[in-house]
Amino acid sequence: MKGMYKRHRVLGILLAALVLIMMDHLHSPTFAFNMGDGHAKASLNQRDASACAPCGAPCPSRR
Amino acid sequence: MTQSSSVMTTAERPVVDTFVVGVALVGMLVLGGLIWLETAPFLVALFAVGIVLGVALYHGAFGFTAGWRNLVTTKRGAGMRAQLMLFALASLIMIPLLGSGHPGMTGAVAPIGVSLVVGSFMFGIGMQLGGGCGSGTLFTVGAGNIRMMVTLLFFIIGAVLGSIHLPWWLDLPGFDPVNLITLMGVPGAIAVQWLGLGLVLLWVNRVERRAHGNVEHGELRMMPAEGGVWRTLLTGRWPFVWAIVVLALGNAATLAIGGAPWGITFAFNLWGAKVLQALGVDMSQFEFWTWDYPAMALSDSVLVNITSVMNFGLLLGAMWAAGMANKFNAASNQPLVARQFIAAIGGGLLLGYGARLGFGCNIGALFSGLASGSLHAWIWFACAFAGSLIGIRLRPFFRLAN
Repeated sequence: MKGMYKRHRVLGILLAALVLIMMDHLHSPTFAFNMGDGHAKASLNQRDASACAPCGAPCPSRR
Repeated sequence: MTQSSSVMTTAERPVVDTFVVGVALVGMLVLGGLIWLETAPFLVALFAVGIVLGVALYHGAFGFTAGWRNLVTTKRGAGMRAQLMLFALASLIMIPLLGSGHPGMTGAVAPIGVSLVVGSFMFGIGMQLGGGCGSGTLFTVGAGNIRMMVTLLFFIIGAVLGSIHLPWWLDLPGFDPVNLITLMGVPGAIAVQWLGLGLVLLWVNRVERRAHGNVEHGELRMMPAEGGVWRTLLTGRWPFVWAIVVLALGNAATLAIGGAPWGITFAFNLWGAKVLQALGVDMSQFEFWTWDYPAMALSDSVLVNITSVMNFGLLLGAMWAAGMANKFNAASNQPLVARQFIAAIGGGLLLGYGARLGFGCNIGALFSGLASGSLHAWIWFACAFAGSLIGIRLRPFFRLAN
């Protein structure tokens, strides 16, 4: 399957994804918290038990 | 004699794409290490679960879209029956888990209303035009399919649009979630789900028998069609039963470790919103992004968002599996004609918008919803299948084979 793709394109796409992930992470409260900023509001547990749907939507009865 | 043995051994040895396999493994190590260093062990575990799910989806060729289409076009129901078996097994494992009252576990339950009906219907059309559902899009992208990358891009755009419009849709008539576990207890919820799945199974068998005079139970095959067990485990193609067991256990593990069942499409919303935010758009002007969970996810790293972490694992798992099967990018060997490109764009938008309005995709809303004993999953199933019928009719116009 070597002729099916260009290796540099595969590496390029994966590296671009990694750069985007890193850029997002380096600007996050979790990273700030890990760097010693105790005031950073990191959210390891993002679940909202009071939500009505997995996306966090409220119940129709509460709208 | 020695020469012929040598030739046979070479011919039988599976050819592995070492570059793709190697890159996928390095990706797993880098991202897994980053998650380990920066977040918490449970997220590393969920990343690993995502990898396994990606391998199972690819090696099991477990496509919801093709299974539905085969029932309609060729009147063969093996793929559909495999899905029903998956739902039945997952319900049997996950409903007792959710009914145990263990704190910190919530099911994939969602409201029922106009939003759900319209969203799942749109998703069904998008499945057939886009060429995959939530899981299908993700694992085929991981396997290097270029057309599906277009679908994924517009899936993300559609999902963000859907998140902006969702509050308006939620103001239309609807009612609160119906949780069968709360309503009738664990045994009752399992019984209702199995009864419903059994009725769908009877209908699928009837369709196949009427068209062919028999029912081909390919989904019940336990052993590989060719090759040994270990070779098939590593290079595919898995019998449906293997994929069913891994996917059901994977969803249960996600629930046990992460506190909620497996989902995929919320991450697409999140990735799109993060891009808009990076471009200077104030996402807090949109109601959806002020709700607790979306707001928390948007403000923090993708590496602490369970759905994103599992999606990263799934992509890399599918990439590894495609490399092991020596089929990375194999689906892109046909040139993409203009109409197929348009179908990928339109399908992706419908998938994204529909998934947000319908509270998830075939994984988050259908698979996890049924395994959580939520009534909304049945409505989603019926409406998405109806939409899929239209999508199947539209496929020839876009030069997509049925």
